[in-house]
Amino acid sequence: MVADAQKTARARGPLAPFRVLDLANELGQLTGKMLGDMGADVIKLEPPGGDPSRWIAPFYRDEPHVEGSLHWWMFNANKRGVTLDLTQDDGRALFLDLVRQADFVIETSPPGTMAALGLGYADLAAAKPSIVMTSITPFGQDGPYAQWRATDLIGAAMGGEMYLNGDPAREPLRPTVSQAYAQVSVQAAVGTMTAHFHRTRTGVGQHVDASLQEAAATLLDNAAPFWDLMHVNLSRPGNGRGTSGRLSGKYVFEAADGYMAALSYGGIFGLNAKQAVAWLDSHDAADDLGSEEWQEKLDASRGVRTPLTSAEVDHVVAVLEAFCRRFPRAQLMREAQAIRNGWAPVHTPRELAEHEHLRARDYWTPIAHPELGTSFDYPGPWAKLSATPLSVRHRAPRVGEHNHDVYAGMLGLSAARCAELAAAGVI
Amino acid sequence: MTTTPPAGVFDGIRVADFAWVGVGPLTSKYLADHGAEVIRLESSVRPEGLRRAPPFANGEPGQERSGYFANFNSSKLGAGLNMTHPRGIEIAKRIIATCDIVTDSFTPKAMRAWGLTYDDLREVRPDIITISMPLYGGTGPWSMYQGFGHVLQAAAGINHMTGYADGEPIGTGYAYTDFFVPHLAAVALIAALDHRERTGQGQHIDFGQMEAALYATETMALDYTVNGREQRRDGNRHPMAAPHGAFRCAPRGDDDERWIAIACFDDDAWRAACATLGAPALADDARFRTLADRKAHEDALEAEVAALTRAHVAEQLMTALQAAGVPAGVVQNCEDLRADPQLTHRGHYWMLEHPVMGVTAYDGPSFRLSKTPGRLSKAAPVLGADTEYLYKTVVGMDDEEFIELLASGAFD
Repeated sequence: MVADAQKTARARGPLAPFRVLDLANELGQLTGKMLGDMGADVIKLEPPGGDPSRWIAPFYRDEPHVEGSLHWWMFNANKRGVTLDLTQDDGRALFLDLVRQADFVIETSPPGTMAALGLGYADLAAAKPSIVMTSITPFGQDGPYAQWRATDLIGAAMGGEMYLNGDPAREPLRPTVSQAYAQVSVQAAVGTMTAHFHRTRTGVGQHVDASLQEAAATLLDNAAPFWDLMHVNLSRPGNGRGTSGRLSGKYVFEAADGYMAALSYGGIFGLNAKQAVAWLDSHDAADDLGSEEWQEKLDASRGVRTPLTSAEVDHVVAVLEAFCRRFPRAQLMREAQAIRNGWAPVHTPRELAEHEHLRARDYWTPIAHPELGTSFDYPGPWAKLSATPLSVRHRAPRVGEHNHDVYAGMLGLSAARCAELAAAGVI
Repeated sequence: MTTTPPAGVFDGIRVADFAWVGVGPLTSKYLADHGAEVIRLESSVRPEGLRRAPPFANGEPGQERSGYFANFNSSKLGAGLNMTHPRGIEIAKRIIATCDIVTDSFTPKAMRAWGLTYDDLREVRPDIITISMPLYGGTGPWSMYQGFGHVLQAAAGINHMTGYADGEPIGTGYAYTDFFVPHLAAVALIAALDHRERTGQGQHIDFGQMEAALYATETMALDYTVNGREQRRDGNRHPMAAPHGAFRCAPRGDDDERWIAIACFDDDAWRAACATLGAPALADDARFRTLADRKAHEDALEAEVAALTRAHVAEQLMTALQAAGVPAGVVQNCEDLRADPQLTHRGHYWMLEHPVMGVTAYDGPSFRLSKTPGRLSKAAPVLGADTEYLYKTVVGMDDEEFIELLASGAFD
């Protein structure tokens, strides 16, 4: 009820008039979260007892508990929650009743599962012709790999992403956080909103088919055209930049108080090599880079220059290493930016949580957890819309928290009928 | 098959696209590939940086030959506009008067200096939608800082979470955030467009790339704000799975970069993996019987698995492991992707003919809409390809004015 009141009071986002039924697991939970951030009434549907993704670590105070998964909290905030057993006839009938009052359905089951339950796109469209159904799967709804299994790691591998990450002397890497899931979720959200816009214009709903592998395959920078045009397979550059088909030397340096990403558009010194060397020189740190010979080599302002040899790269890197180590990151950032070199610190989680800029923009959003008697800062809106602001309003639902609101309130079921369904394990 | 292309979702929507390099063009690419008329406004005086970035068709540098630029700009038109021309700003406003959306990816001072902020432009067109996509957003102490995706991944925590447990925060090998935040920007933009369609109201979107990028870091933020723990990069490992990593397979010819990723979240998957690798007894090794056992002996576990995969051809092992129900996949390179049967089945790559580059491959959207699928309608524009169309047909200049402005360098 508290959540409902907050929603009424504060959801002014662009999707405030719309409702979402969210059946997604970790593959696609961010999609529904984004629609919720935009003000939609997102109802998370879980099997009785709770969704398996409630058991993804880490947990509140590291105590495994059905209500304590931070993964669940992160990706299901702004959603209401009900339990529903779709394997029972009564459960499927209830689901179709909900579909009649919804605008979006998001699901992540293996291709064919929903249709086998009588809940495929054709079934949903028969109940609600304008429904937009989004299916997020490892490889897509059909094709030779459609029934294969993939987790975040496998998606990053088969989509080509891992091949580009890591040290050439060691194994290819995924980011330690599950970002391939995040990728397919946000790309599926684009597809979902595109279908939604079409519905607004025409009244026609449709099915959106999103693939984890294909989502990863779209984030390869210029690697795909490198193969297409040059028949060169770009590969992992370690602590360097490899996007031009050759390593530029390292770009993450140790500063006095942490790591600094010291790279500028156009190369190590970028388009402003002259100013960059002068900057180092003002700290007596330019070594011999101020010589005419070096200036010529470093200056990328006149377009593509002859790449440095690896010995030359080593020298430049050594100069930068010695320079960066002497100064704190805030000073390096300030001084680099003053000459239009876009350096930035390697932030740690604490630094991001306390970040002056994010704080000034009210990014971090305190979310109440009444049962714990406290609130925690959550990542806030991912875009600021002037007329229809996004908002992170309330914590993720507890198991079956909104069964009464939804089944009695929205669907108008009697107390006796609700009790009957609960006794049968349907809700 | 019909010869008339199907109607695009965004038919009739026109975008004045001032954005450049990665994030802006990738955001507007979604609209263009689904039917919008996206006009890249470029100046030969200050050309788009990606036009000068490799790879180039046939390896020859040239501003009409970059595959980097081309891939991000399918289905778009290109017109010349020189903002340093005395009438540049006035001309920009005449273009914008015909548009639904204006995009930029500059730090906030550029649009302010030109008098092209949302408040300025709503006087040109009251229901205009504007989106600005600088690294750090339109307000706040860092708003004038510049940079690009390679360093923003550092600022947004991706580097901290990417690397080997014993090593530096190396991050991904490319400008990661350039390939994450455009999707969120496109969602916000389509939501604003939808809101306008329903209510007639336009608005401004202040899109700070760092704020969107934090959504790629799973529970990194909450683990700190809730538990006070700073998560840290740990290679390919996962707290709830083992083995969970990339393991080298047999060479393919002289290519020794053949790897397979394997993710065993439960004991059944582990037993099936051992059997498939030809070492069923390994599953009963006391060090590896349960997930807890395997996590406790993960170095030894990974060494055993790597010794086994080395004898296998990556593709054959993937197929066998998948048949046994084990999540596994080849660490594919771009050559593999072009031949990948699943991506081929989905028609991921579009072959488009460009007047200078010839026929080259473009990425299509990763999702399919059943009734209004995306369609890459043309290759990327050469500089100024649609200048005459924009000014004469869209803006409505007569020949005399067009030629006068052209001669005076307004479209350079």
